[in-house]
Amino acid sequence: MSSRVGALRRGKLNAEPIILSVLSAIILLFLLVPIVMVILVSFSADDTLQFPPSSWSLRWYQAALELFVGPNAAVVRFRESLLTSLEVACVVMIIAAVISAPAAYALARYHFRGKLLVEQLISLPIVFPVIVLGVALLVMVSRLGIGMVFWRIVVAHVIITFPFVVRNCTTSLAGLSSSLEEAAYTLGANRLHSFTEIVLPLMRPGILSGSMLAFVLSFNHLTTSYFLSTVDLIPLPVWLIQRNAVNLDLTTFSLSSMVICIDVALIWGLDWLIGKRRLTL
Amino acid sequence: MAQQVDHISSLPTAAAAVRRRSVRRILTLVSFLGPAGLFLAVLIAAALMALRMSVSRENAESAWTVASYGALGAGIYLSSMLLTLKLSLLSTMIAVVLSLPVAMVLARLRNDTVRSLMLFVVLLPLLMNVLFQVYGWMVILSPGALVDSLAGALGLNAPLLLYNQPSVLIGLVQSSFPLAVLPITNALRNIPMSIEEAAATLGGNRVRTLWHIVFPLSMPGIVAASLLVFAFNASDWVIALLLGGDRVTTMGVLIRDEMGPLLNWPIGSALGTVLVVATLIILAVYQRLTSRYAELWRT
Repeated sequence: MSSRVGALRRGKLNAEPIILSVLSAIILLFLLVPIVMVILVSFSADDTLQFPPSSWSLRWYQAALELFVGPNAAVVRFRESLLTSLEVACVVMIIAAVISAPAAYALARYHFRGKLLVEQLISLPIVFPVIVLGVALLVMVSRLGIGMVFWRIVVAHVIITFPFVVRNCTTSLAGLSSSLEEAAYTLGANRLHSFTEIVLPLMRPGILSGSMLAFVLSFNHLTTSYFLSTVDLIPLPVWLIQRNAVNLDLTTFSLSSMVICIDVALIWGLDWLIGKRRLTL
Repeated sequence: MAQQVDHISSLPTAAAAVRRRSVRRILTLVSFLGPAGLFLAVLIAAALMALRMSVSRENAESAWTVASYGALGAGIYLSSMLLTLKLSLLSTMIAVVLSLPVAMVLARLRNDTVRSLMLFVVLLPLLMNVLFQVYGWMVILSPGALVDSLAGALGLNAPLLLYNQPSVLIGLVQSSFPLAVLPITNALRNIPMSIEEAAATLGGNRVRTLWHIVFPLSMPGIVAASLLVFAFNASDWVIALLLGGDRVTTMGVLIRDEMGPLLNWPIGSALGTVLVVATLIILAVYQRLTSRYAELWRT
């Protein structure tokens, strides 16, 4: 019988891990190919989109650079949009962390009537169709006459991202018993004190990876920004889609490649923060 | 300590103390959950205002009418609902099936470096701007681009691969794929290796072990994955708009048209309401069905 276990581990069934690995490699390649293609095409020397390009050059990066530092209006737009997106993402990250950490603590440590309902409500933004959220917020801001474009985009992004922060904070608390906090009470700490001195440090990995996730999601989020932005304030994804509604010129690919580099760095950072733990979606 | 004794003796009765403690507990809970609740309240208020908008007349928003919902009976809206349902279901099935091998590898990897690299690749499509992936598919599928050139080199004449339902389906599967992988990986990681070994010891072959042990035990992950992917893809509009041209009008595309260029907000809101209600009903029914199915499997 033990030989069967041995067989599972090394013998005749050794084909399984290999088949699985090859399959996964193919599937992961499928995930990566589109992004790699965007980067490859950005080095094309052609005037129009074709692949493989007839020759390679940096001309589209030159064009992108002119969009970035040159004198015409579109330029400033790209730079402004990039900065807008980064600013929004920073503010969203901070707000999402500040509102999510206490909520996660309450869900992990307290038992109360209606807790299941509260948990489901917090997950609502994840399953709520995001395009309808955009529409609903647009109706709301126009009916109530809310200007403040920056803040309405921030609020929309916080709604979309904070459930992920809550979930990551809850998982980092779930494995830990409340004995440390009880010890703190016994030693005379009050609630606030034990929260800041004991609970927050314990939740730190969850807060860090959760808020990093919020930053990345907000930086790349298109749908609600598309409905809520105005000509005065255009986040980067909206700028890109509006520009390409007209035609897809190859500067798009060099600009996209630059943003992809930012994204890769951000996601790499997130990956590093997650480390050996799991990411909760 | 003395302070605490003082505190208790100052209260009239034990019942009052309990009451005061429960009031304090509620206050604590409210202060912890309140800030997040505020943002949820915005979501719900906005949804209600959209619902109100859907029963008002175009250009006369204080009037009440169900005309918008009546208009949704028109062929274009009905076929778009069916199309959205079809594309979301298909993309969910494909994404979940494709994610199984990836999740199995990811759950069993012991090497931290390799695992974190793999997680990175899995996370990219979810977190990176969906537009970049759409542009990527254009480079692959456009006339004169990758697939077309490959076919030309082989002497084949490739049909137009872009602006049809399959191209939208590919985009949907690719962009939602991570949402399928992560929950299934987490579920698989909770299955101890010893259970599979026990099954092998008791004479189950690998296929039977996978089918009767691993698959049912990973069911919660598969259910969570399909719920996430379905909800995500049902509300897509970018992929359908850009990879589908004008030919794949999903509900997302229609909603965007009514809210944007056409400026018919009542119809747009009514479509949105239908999308939300349909999504939530399908998710609830699916959850109910799978929990019953899991019970059957266990017996």
